[in-house]
Amino acid sequence: MRVSCLQENLAKGLSIVSRAVAARSTLPVLGNILIETDQSRLKLAATNLEIGISCWIGARVDEDGGTTVPARTFVDLINALPQGQVDMDLAVKTQTLSVRCGRFANNVKGVDKEEFPIIPKPDEHNAIHIAPDALRQMIDQVVFAAAADESRPILTGVLAKFSGKTLTLAAADGFRLSVRTTALEDGVDEPLEVIIPARALAELGRISGDQVDPISITVTPQRSQILFHLTNIDLVSQLIDGKFPDYTAIIPKATTTKTIVDTGLLLKACKAANVFAREAANIVRVNIVPGDELTPGHITIGATSAETGDNAGDLDASVTGTPIEIAFNVKYLIDVLNVAGANQVSLETSHPSAPGILRAIGDDAFTHVIMPMHIGGR
Amino acid sequence: MTSHPWPVIGHAWAVLNLDQAATEYRPAHAYLISGPAHIGKTTLARTLAMALNCEADARPCGQCRSCKLIASGKHPDVQLIEPDGAHLKIDQVRALQHDLALSPNEGRFRVAIFNPFEVATTEAQNALLKTLEEPPDYAVLMVVTADPELLLPTIVSRCQLIALRPLTITQVRQALTTTWRIENDRANLLAHLSGGRLGWAVTAASDNSILDTRARRLDDLIVLLKSNRGARFAYAEAITRKEDHARDAIDLWRTWWRDVMLAASGSNAELVNVDRAAQIQSLATHLDVGQASAAAEACGRALWQIDRNAVPRLVVEVLLLDFPHLASI
Repeated sequence: MRVSCLQENLAKGLSIVSRAVAARSTLPVLGNILIETDQSRLKLAATNLEIGISCWIGARVDEDGGTTVPARTFVDLINALPQGQVDMDLAVKTQTLSVRCGRFANNVKGVDKEEFPIIPKPDEHNAIHIAPDALRQMIDQVVFAAAADESRPILTGVLAKFSGKTLTLAAADGFRLSVRTTALEDGVDEPLEVIIPARALAELGRISGDQVDPISITVTPQRSQILFHLTNIDLVSQLIDGKFPDYTAIIPKATTTKTIVDTGLLLKACKAANVFAREAANIVRVNIVPGDELTPGHITIGATSAETGDNAGDLDASVTGTPIEIAFNVKYLIDVLNVAGANQVSLETSHPSAPGILRAIGDDAFTHVIMPMHIGGR
Repeated sequence: MTSHPWPVIGHAWAVLNLDQAATEYRPAHAYLISGPAHIGKTTLARTLAMALNCEADARPCGQCRSCKLIASGKHPDVQLIEPDGAHLKIDQVRALQHDLALSPNEGRFRVAIFNPFEVATTEAQNALLKTLEEPPDYAVLMVVTADPELLLPTIVSRCQLIALRPLTITQVRQALTTTWRIENDRANLLAHLSGGRLGWAVTAASDNSILDTRARRLDDLIVLLKSNRGARFAYAEAITRKEDHARDAIDLWRTWWRDVMLAASGSNAELVNVDRAAQIQSLATHLDVGQASAAAEACGRALWQIDRNAVPRLVVEVLLLDFPHLASI
């Protein structure tokens, strides 16, 4: 392999793929980055067997070939080089990659690329297309609700349901559920359900920042991997095997109290309550009182900590239904309010021990369900 | 026999069974492979992994990318899980469970080989129970152990058992001469000493120090039989300084006393220590069958005690006192 490219491009490409490098693994080659010529471009790739990221950068290819080099060494080296042209030359026999930039000469010891796991290529034929902004918003609104602990592997994933001309993402961790639907540019013939690791989607959100063209999505025929194809980047994720719980059963069909409140003010009140709630199991009491002909309705967010003190934040709200006092985990409220993306949100509740629904006003496609916390001694 | 022989020597019935499962892509969800050390348990497990993931028609071909990666332990879907330090820990089981939740990367099956599982902590074993009970369709778990008795019964009951037995001396000799190209005399000796453990024979064939140590320990034994208690106690102290040395020596001496017993009884059964036949015969003239068998039994008892954490030095001291005292050999 003999190839030349710009240090800036190489450093940028490496910063993208190195997020998929395995930190510790039983397979040493997973700590390496694959560098390979692909027609007239240079392909960089890394995988931790859960997520694989490939990235193509412009390069002048004088001789085809490829190798894998240790990620830490190579990334640190490239970042330390001056801007300008980088010439790389691989000695196949010793798998040593000579990297020259200006008057810097470096030799990096690599490992044969045959040992590197195969990262599947997307099949553009059956691809589903989606606008990058819409997908990113979905990811932001859903991924945070996936479970962090591994005791139920399925809940560490996000359900992706392709059906007709819509895509639905859903994630739940046992205490909250986030569901978001969006329209696809072109529909699917057969409904398709897969469970994608939350980490993979979070990573996709991160690397798709510069993407302008639609992102194309393909699922491999064996249903073992999902591929996201961006302009110069591919992200491949293993799918989680299993059946996602029926989340529709968790969303209450009817509620008795509906509270509409300004998103920003509610978020401020929650953050203030969090100062005390974080010392008290994150519990905030939400007190909702409907208004009458003269006074508007109220929602009060309060927290009490035996050590640090207490507070109450009172907000005007449009309340219909019966008054209620209900407790929530303030972290969950802050998480969802951060991504609600609307000026106003509605909180629908019916009983202190029944789940509450949070929706963005003017956006039917987003639904968030939070389980209440138990408050004794009422 | 199988249509395309597995690169496994002996264990014909186990190979037949597993080959059929692999041919139909219908392996059991979990196998428990048991048997003495070095008889080919891990080889068998790895070969099943190859047969399940091989890309050729006649599986396992040993030539394709998948087979080669598995043989060198670098296949992304085939994991060999070995103890981290002295034990196999719960974190290793949890890491595996994380991987098993994801569908296979390259192959058809994700295969996890625990070798050996008896060193797993109780927590690790319990953590694996759920996975053993309902693993994903594409997962095959292989629990390798010297003795199923050392595992939790709940583990054993969740696996299909494959108990491997030692190979015959002829099988080992043949494998050594044909596959490893070792000359006949040496192969014969190694086959007899191996006790049917091909892996041991192959290691010993390439590592001379194993046979040298054996020769030295047999010579030591002859000297000890002539020695008084003081010398025997000094030897017990010396040999227990390094872990495992005492156990290896006692294991060896047991084969020796067995040979002496056979010689004393006038039996024609084959000796283990074939290269020392003359020495064994001459020793047998000084002893009766009862004395030789008592010494062999004492060795067995000592091994049993060491395996159950008795103080090795005390065990060896008692053993050496049990050995007969022969001033004139």
